[in-house]
Amino acid sequence: MSTAQTPDDGGMLAAAVPNRPRQAGIAYSNAPAPHQTESTMPSRTAPAPQTTTEPASAGGGRRRRGVNREGLEAGKRSTRTILWVLLAAALVLYGFPFLYLLFTSFKTPIDTIAVPPTILPKEWTLDNYINALGRNGVPASFINSIQTAVISTLLSLVLAVPAAYGITRYKTASGRVFIMAALVTRMVPPVAIGIPLASMMASVGLADTPIALSIAHTTISLPLSIWLMSSFFEAVPQDLEEAATVDGCSRLGALWRVVIPVVSGGIAVTAIFAFLASWNEFLFALLMTAVRSQTTPVVIANFQTQFGLDWGSMTALAAVYSIPVILLTLLLQRKIVAGMTLGAVKG
Amino acid sequence: MRIPDRRFALYLMTPAALFLAVFVAYPLFRLVTDSFFKISPIVGGPRDFVGLDNYVRAFTSEAFMGAGWRTLAYTLMVVTLEFTLGLGMALLFTTLGRKSQVWRTVFLYPLMIAPIVAGLLWKFLMIDNFGLLGTLLSQAGILQDPNQIGWLSNPDIVLFSVAVPDIWLTTSFMCLVLFAGLQNIPGDLIEAARLDGARAPSLLFRIILPLLRPVIAVALVVRGIDAARAFDTILIQTNGGPQSASETMSLLIYRTMIRFGDPGLASAMGTIYLLAMLTIAFVAVTTIWRPGKDT
Repeated sequence: MSTAQTPDDGGMLAAAVPNRPRQAGIAYSNAPAPHQTESTMPSRTAPAPQTTTEPASAGGGRRRRGVNREGLEAGKRSTRTILWVLLAAALVLYGFPFLYLLFTSFKTPIDTIAVPPTILPKEWTLDNYINALGRNGVPASFINSIQTAVISTLLSLVLAVPAAYGITRYKTASGRVFIMAALVTRMVPPVAIGIPLASMMASVGLADTPIALSIAHTTISLPLSIWLMSSFFEAVPQDLEEAATVDGCSRLGALWRVVIPVVSGGIAVTAIFAFLASWNEFLFALLMTAVRSQTTPVVIANFQTQFGLDWGSMTALAAVYSIPVILLTLLLQRKIVAGMTLGAVKG
Repeated sequence: MRIPDRRFALYLMTPAALFLAVFVAYPLFRLVTDSFFKISPIVGGPRDFVGLDNYVRAFTSEAFMGAGWRTLAYTLMVVTLEFTLGLGMALLFTTLGRKSQVWRTVFLYPLMIAPIVAGLLWKFLMIDNFGLLGTLLSQAGILQDPNQIGWLSNPDIVLFSVAVPDIWLTTSFMCLVLFAGLQNIPGDLIEAARLDGARAPSLLFRIILPLLRPVIAVALVVRGIDAARAFDTILIQTNGGPQSASETMSLLIYRTMIRFGDPGLASAMGTIYLLAMLTIAFVAVTTIWRPGKDT
């Protein structure tokens, strides 16, 4: 699935914190420490956009090991201007589709399908939102989506954290086999296991429940979570637990009281990805839910057939469903970036 | 008594392993078994062993072979375009340096949008008559008539049109990963090459791309697997139509199972599809990615 992407997008990737490009080297080890903010970094580019004042970027006179700005960053003012224009154009093109969805959600029904279409609403109205949210089953679907995503996230974490710790801390043969098996799981198309999974759930009386769907979603997020958590544990020095066990902690105690607090940033990243994977998932939700436990993506898709072409309500519901996670991205972008690129750079 | 470390590690992994065994491995086993049966779609209906009959039917069916080729074409198209656009954006952000940081964040936003919403949104942009894309292109003088290109109704181009939301959603991911890789290229190397008189194109093709190879490989493999499984965006945009021109493997299996009520045949298709994915991914991983060898 192209989920986040999604995240689903997500990926079996592991390492780099692009937010801190100046601290090159093994960016990977920075990942579990997302609390260090951009503002604490020394701003060497202080003299503003005219980077021409930096002799290094213009001619390449100054060399600093591991810092590549001098290497790849464009120096000439004219070049930079062209590049900024290019960036602005790309961002407008990239951002426009979602803005158009937002504008459409404020149009009147007639404007929505007007020929030729207009970008901005002629008349701004909240009718679509009132229609969409007041429709039977829509509020319930939000509760289902949240329930499913929360259960699935917790399940993923509870299973992935110890497993990833066992894999990275003890480096046994079974651990290596297990992480490869988890990777292979990522290749399984959901459509292939969806039906058998649905009938399994039905046979134990869990048909059409958020529990069943969250288990299905965990099959997607668990391999990803194990992979991410392994990378985070990899960055924890072993001395830490050794010191704890010397002090009389059991191995489980050391994991719980010493290691877990250290990787809490990594756990948060993993939780975000697991949550998004479930929040945005559609195929399992379509196959495994009927009425009671339907999640919002399925309801959005159903608008198309059930109610003809009610584009206005559909866009309003899509906006309401997407905006919380977009805001979440902007708020937590450092963590999301860390998780997304984790490992890719490590190769 | 203290249990040995190795067993302790095994205990830690057991719950997750059991979960994957029960909820992934077992359904897969069921899928493979089902592929040898002719199954009535009615619950509790007859189930007859038919051997390899479903496989023969799959391979001789035009729909299946067509879907296979379309899935391949779709995957190659999505991955190539995403890679090109993602690399372009990553280079842009790198050459602009730290000042572009805020915009890098903004550029991430589609990653969080549900594929179903993205598909819906692009359908709305490309739909005949009141789609904005055709209108804007004709106002810009590129098209004579807003409906000149039937993005979603012309079987010849629909496979490209349904790929657009997928590309839109995940170019950010490609960009992010490649950007991270670019940050790890030592500046000295670039400068040395510049001092030797290397121009931008040779910098890109002789130095940057070879150094990024491991990162590129991971990104391509990961995205390739995802693109080959595309379902949501296509279902909501065209449902595989017109004339099955956008019916990829996931859609065909879904429709065979649900619409045409033939779980046996769908299982055989699913099994072939899964084996093909595993083979391609395995070959890709061992030949391009080579974990641990390039770093």
